[in-house]
Amino acid sequence: MTRYVINRLVQIVVILFMILTILFVLFRLAPGDPVARMVDPNMTPEDAARLIAQLGLDLPIWRQYLTYLGNCLTGNFGHSFHYGLPVLEIIGQRLPNTILLFSTGVLLSAVAGIAWGKLAAWNKGKATDLWLTVASLITHTLFLPWLALLLIWVFGYKLDWFPINGMISDEVWLDPDSGVLLKAWDVAYHMILPLGTLFIMHFGAYLLVMRSSMLETLKEDYIITARAKGLTEKAIRNHHAAPNAWLPVVTSVGLSLAFSINGGALTETVFSWPGIGRELVFAVSQNDYPLAQASFLLVASVVLISNLVVDVLYAYLDPRIRY
Amino acid sequence: MMRAPVFRLATTLPLLTILLVLALMWPSAAPAADWDRDVLRVGVLEEPKSLNPWLAGDSWSSHVQALLYQPLYLREPAELKPAPWLAAEPPVFDPQALTYTVRLRPARWSDGSPLTAADVVFTAELIQALKVPRFASLFAALKQVEALDQQTVRFKLSRPDASFAARALGAPVLSQAQWRPVLEQCRLTQRPLASLLQYKLEDPLSNGPFVLAEWRKGVYLYLKRNPHFFGQGLTIAGRKLGPEISGVVFKVYGTSDAAVLALRKGTIDYYWNNVQPGYLRDLTRDPAVRLVQSQKSALYFLGFNLRRLPTGEAAFRRAVALLIDKQFVIKRVLQGAGEVMSSLLPAGNRFYHLNTVPDYDQPLTRRQRIDQAVEILAGAGFSWDQRPAWEGDHLRPGRGLRDPEGNPLRELSILTPPADYDPQRAMVGVMAQEWLGQVGIPAFARPMAFGAMLEQVKSRREFDMFVLGYGNLPLDPGWLGAFFLGANDRPRGWNMSGYHSPEFDSLANQAGRAMDPQERQPLVQEMQRILMKDTPFLPLYNPTLTEALREDRFSGWVEMVGGVGNLWTFCELTPRAGRARP
Repeated sequence: MTRYVINRLVQIVVILFMILTILFVLFRLAPGDPVARMVDPNMTPEDAARLIAQLGLDLPIWRQYLTYLGNCLTGNFGHSFHYGLPVLEIIGQRLPNTILLFSTGVLLSAVAGIAWGKLAAWNKGKATDLWLTVASLITHTLFLPWLALLLIWVFGYKLDWFPINGMISDEVWLDPDSGVLLKAWDVAYHMILPLGTLFIMHFGAYLLVMRSSMLETLKEDYIITARAKGLTEKAIRNHHAAPNAWLPVVTSVGLSLAFSINGGALTETVFSWPGIGRELVFAVSQNDYPLAQASFLLVASVVLISNLVVDVLYAYLDPRIRY
Repeated sequence: MMRAPVFRLATTLPLLTILLVLALMWPSAAPAADWDRDVLRVGVLEEPKSLNPWLAGDSWSSHVQALLYQPLYLREPAELKPAPWLAAEPPVFDPQALTYTVRLRPARWSDGSPLTAADVVFTAELIQALKVPRFASLFAALKQVEALDQQTVRFKLSRPDASFAARALGAPVLSQAQWRPVLEQCRLTQRPLASLLQYKLEDPLSNGPFVLAEWRKGVYLYLKRNPHFFGQGLTIAGRKLGPEISGVVFKVYGTSDAAVLALRKGTIDYYWNNVQPGYLRDLTRDPAVRLVQSQKSALYFLGFNLRRLPTGEAAFRRAVALLIDKQFVIKRVLQGAGEVMSSLLPAGNRFYHLNTVPDYDQPLTRRQRIDQAVEILAGAGFSWDQRPAWEGDHLRPGRGLRDPEGNPLRELSILTPPADYDPQRAMVGVMAQEWLGQVGIPAFARPMAFGAMLEQVKSRREFDMFVLGYGNLPLDPGWLGAFFLGANDRPRGWNMSGYHSPEFDSLANQAGRAMDPQERQPLVQEMQRILMKDTPFLPLYNPTLTEALREDRFSGWVEMVGGVGNLWTFCELTPRAGRARP
């Protein structure tokens, strides 16, 4: 196992190096001028050229690449062209918000999806199965911005139960009398609508995977043996069938958690959630190379490491798997 | 077999969720605190990129920076003339010595230290020394700046520059105490300008009506009243200044949908953005909301590449100008929220605007437009395999258009921003394609990412036509010369069309040196007349700015070109007595 993990880590380093290179080339090939929006209508081409030189964009591509590699190795990912701040600082500000929302969303969806997937499989062909499966298919194929705006309209505006958007309300956070508890409540309160949207969109995927996996498991000989031994239905379902059906769901949840750091530009935009997804889209659209490269690299790193973690977890979940 | 009970988790989860939701709703029912009764809440679509005044030029940053960093002169809302702001009186110009002398009002920074002539001198010298991109061109003609005493500054120019007073003296004044150490630190680095632009400004010293109190990145930015604001209680340009509000919170909304709902709900008092026509019906019916329409200093136009044929042919451009029905664009694309532009200077710029309507902007029927365009093209030597012809009311479109040498016309591109960036300009591109196609001009609209389009037009210069716009042009007409001077026809230069006219260059240079506005006015108007005739750009429309605000908590919104989101509004707004947030 140790050898396997070491091998995988070496592979990850090689892949990351390739990703670094691909990201660098892709952003330079993309059309657009990173300083086009930083100039005013009276600025001369000479001033624009000076700005480009100051940002290091006038150097030959190979020199830019070497500088970029050198900086990455020392943990310096540069400054955002538009914010003027170190990109790691920008990512550091936004990433916790994204992780909070999307990881909670994945976990809630997964818990409900697994539970309802078991229920659907156990009641295969019955009304429960039909309703849960159809509901999953419908909700999973909804258009996210439409659903989000609908929830905002109904629960945020018409019923006025929840805030329309944002992560916190300035009324609470700027109030000198607000305590820590009230501020924590405020964050949770603002999470309800975006979490509801993510939950509705994603629980169906876990439900369907769990249902399908569970149906396969229920055909296994050890389930018949368990019944022959006179075990209760509950014991068969929860202790014999479900644990063996978890493997594909674990993969799915693991990768979803990894990708949750990528955020969701649409969810974050509609709910004005100050996460990394919106920044990533902004960075790409504005040719903010340092910010875009560092954000993508972070996503790639987390996904690669999560893959490794999931693989290792497999060995613990299924004793038959050995590396 | 025993029937399976419903799983405990599956049943309890929804119940727990409902209980959790109800519990979470409890804090919202708590009575609102009183601390924010006089705080104005403004909805914006993006947060400011930076409060570093040297770096950020985007409109969202400018909104906030305008409340922190003040200029010597500020345009007043009625006549749009520069009014003394940090300056105590109009600048004194000496035409022989080419100097402007400016006397300052007594003013203080937000830390209580005095604002002196040394701050003004330092700001100008820093801009010149590091060639700060946002401001360098404004100070290009500045030869020397000196403090004559604590309250008096003298700017000496190396050459006459008609824009200097309006533009350079309208630039913000920054604190020497805050920025000199930064400048010295930047000078020690390999790239001083980049170091300055990347300087993280934690606690900006303000000389404006507000000062930064708290900035939660991506969520809100809170400015509180600056107790040292020089204008408090003063009357400038006939307007009594406050601010009477205790602060401003800028709240970030990812979409217009959310911002408009927040306005209707009363979460914000003002949505600082143009309200799209789709929202207007609901907003009009809401008694708490007031819609304000303002002129913009904007220009949306169709540009031609004069470096290649057929767009380099004046007759061809005139034919295109005839085929584009601007009234139709206003009515259908802008849904009435805009005005036709005939001259490149917006009509809001009353002093310099040329109020002449060229023949191609006269009210013509579609048939008249097509017939006249065909005549112009035929007169210039263009020919068709099948000439456009009317069969009753039905047009048989032209086919196989050939240039004066008899070669078939290649496909011509009309570059536009994509519909998700600006649906109106994208739609104009499509309509132009259709209208040009009616006489056989093989044009096709090509939406592309905005940055890519700018690169294609300004750097590569590979295009035939493009639809572009400037939403907030300076009121000083100096940019008109920059856009069309022959010397600016170079990669990244502002002469995007590649327009060359010795007559225009001569006028633009004269206008650039005319220090007396009365002398400059006819020159600028003649420049517009020439551009109207040569049509390197075909001005299309100036959209009307529609903004939405609530009047139940604050009164005193100041309307001017560019909308109610202006410094005068923030200095004059007054809380209505006894009106709490809904």
